[in-house]
Amino acid sequence: MAAEKAPDTYGITAPYADELNDDITHWDRVGEFPHDKWKPLQRSGLFTLPFAPEYGGAGRTLTETMAALEGLGHTSRDAGLNFSASTQIVSVGIPLQAFGSEDLRGRYLPQVTSGEAITAHAITEPSHGSDVMNIRTTAVREGDEYVLNGGKMFITNAPVAGLFLLYVRTGKPGAFGLSTFLAERDTPGLTVGEPLETMGLRTSPISEVTLEDVRLPVGNRLGSEGAGFLIMDYVMKREVLFSFAVNLGEMAHRLKRVVEHATTRQQFGSAIGKNQAVAHKIADMRIAVETARKWLYDTGLKVEQGKDASLDVAATKIVVSEANQLTARHAIQIFGARGYLTGTGIERELRNATAGSIYSGTNEIQRNCIAALMGL
Amino acid sequence: MSTVTNDPIRAYIVSEFLAGEDAEDLTDDFDLIESTVVNSLGLVRLISWISETYGIPVDDIPLEPAAYRTLADIRGFVGRAAPAGV
Ligand SMILES: Cc1cc2nc3c(=O)[nH]c(=O)nc-3n(C[C@H](O)[C@H](O)[C@H](O)COP(=O)(O)OP(=O)(O)OC[C@H]3O[C@@H](n4cnc5c(N)ncnc54)[C@H](O)[C@@H]3O)c2cc1C
Repeated sequence: MAAEKAPDTYGITAPYADELNDDITHWDRVGEFPHDKWKPLQRSGLFTLPFAPEYGGAGRTLTETMAALEGLGHTSRDAGLNFSASTQIVSVGIPLQAFGSEDLRGRYLPQVTSGEAITAHAITEPSHGSDVMNIRTTAVREGDEYVLNGGKMFITNAPVAGLFLLYVRTGKPGAFGLSTFLAERDTPGLTVGEPLETMGLRTSPISEVTLEDVRLPVGNRLGSEGAGFLIMDYVMKREVLFSFAVNLGEMAHRLKRVVEHATTRQQFGSAIGKNQAVAHKIADMRIAVETARKWLYDTGLKVEQGKDASLDVAATKIVVSEANQLTARHAIQIFGARGYLTGTGIERELRNATAGSIYSGTNEIQRNCIAALMGL
Repeated sequence: MSTVTNDPIRAYIVSEFLAGEDAEDLTDDFDLIESTVVNSLGLVRLISWISETYGIPVDDIPLEPAAYRTLADIRGFVGRAAPAGV
């Protein structure tokens, strides 16, 4: 079912279903970014949605963009590609539009909205994952430049990205110790590691990024010095809404497949869905999908209206990632041995859903955040 | 510098971040960030409180360190942005 708020963006990737779903099992097995599938996404206009028309954007709202990403999740069975696509929108484009100078926006946003430059954002470090306020990579100002040194880890899209947003330390640990810089891939001293092999989302390439005396002009900083944490907070809200809207679409599709299977697969002379133990699982799947939908669009609307939504975003992240894992597990059980086979694509969904409770701030950290916002 | 005693922003910071102690040191020019009275999560809470209390959309609240250094800084941007004034 299309989102109520913005039905006209929901279907924009649907015409490209055949291209997007071509040879899914192969791509998952080889674990490579399917470059050819990026092209239909570019043609669909997905990457233009939340951006201003003067930079090649479509000027759509946050919830309209979410609806399009939900539609992508429903259309495309390649959850890795879908995750890379939502990273494309949020990692560089969103902060560049909100905090970049006119010069930076003019130079880089058109490449982002066209999808010509693939983008990545680098926050996590080998020694600092959840403890993000204490990251060690530094930027030291020297005249009109900053010199960056350190290393980043688990960076989605890095192996294929042309533009990086780097979150680094410019001050003491604390609320204003971080700053954000835009860097092109071929900047001397910036090295992208080999793609790391992963359990799921295998077509969304991920790697280390090392920075050795990387020199960036002061003009490549987004916002003022020390604004990095607030920029990250702004971006993370949108990252959760966008990437988990994709999961909503994927879950809705999964539910449809499960219902179809439960009503057609016969055992003991009737459809397996006639068994209460199976039917209840499907009812729980339905509740999980609808709960995810309500949280996503309710929170999306709040953020769109400029209301405070810190607690809502944390709760949404937990609800949707756990719904995704639950529905993926139930789907395998209901498909039986067929669910366990790689060829049916059901087991892949559990592998893909696993990372959702880790990235964008682990669910433990989200619960800590909710507790802290409640004054605990 | 004198401290405005009936200042709601000061009262909020004292009750939320100084555990209700009557903090004599918390003058208008006391550095809230340097002193770590307001940490990163505290900042998120402060911004949402300002947004709610003064009816300023979160998106219109400045996201730059200089806006939060001191009580005077906070009062400054709230005064400029709040529809109803402070
Ligand atoms: C698929 C994928 C894509 C990613 N993409 C990106 C990206 O594009 N850019 C980027 O910068 N990073 C990315 N990451 C990294 C991700 O943000 C981190 O993995 C995450 O922040 C957790 O850090 P960590 O893995 O080092 O775990 P750790 O921080 O070491 O945590 C390990 C475990 O301890 C728990 N834990 C830690 N501290 C606490 C605490 N205070 N209270 C309770 N529990 C705690 C955690 O919840 C977790 O369960 C990605 C990760 C994955 C899996």
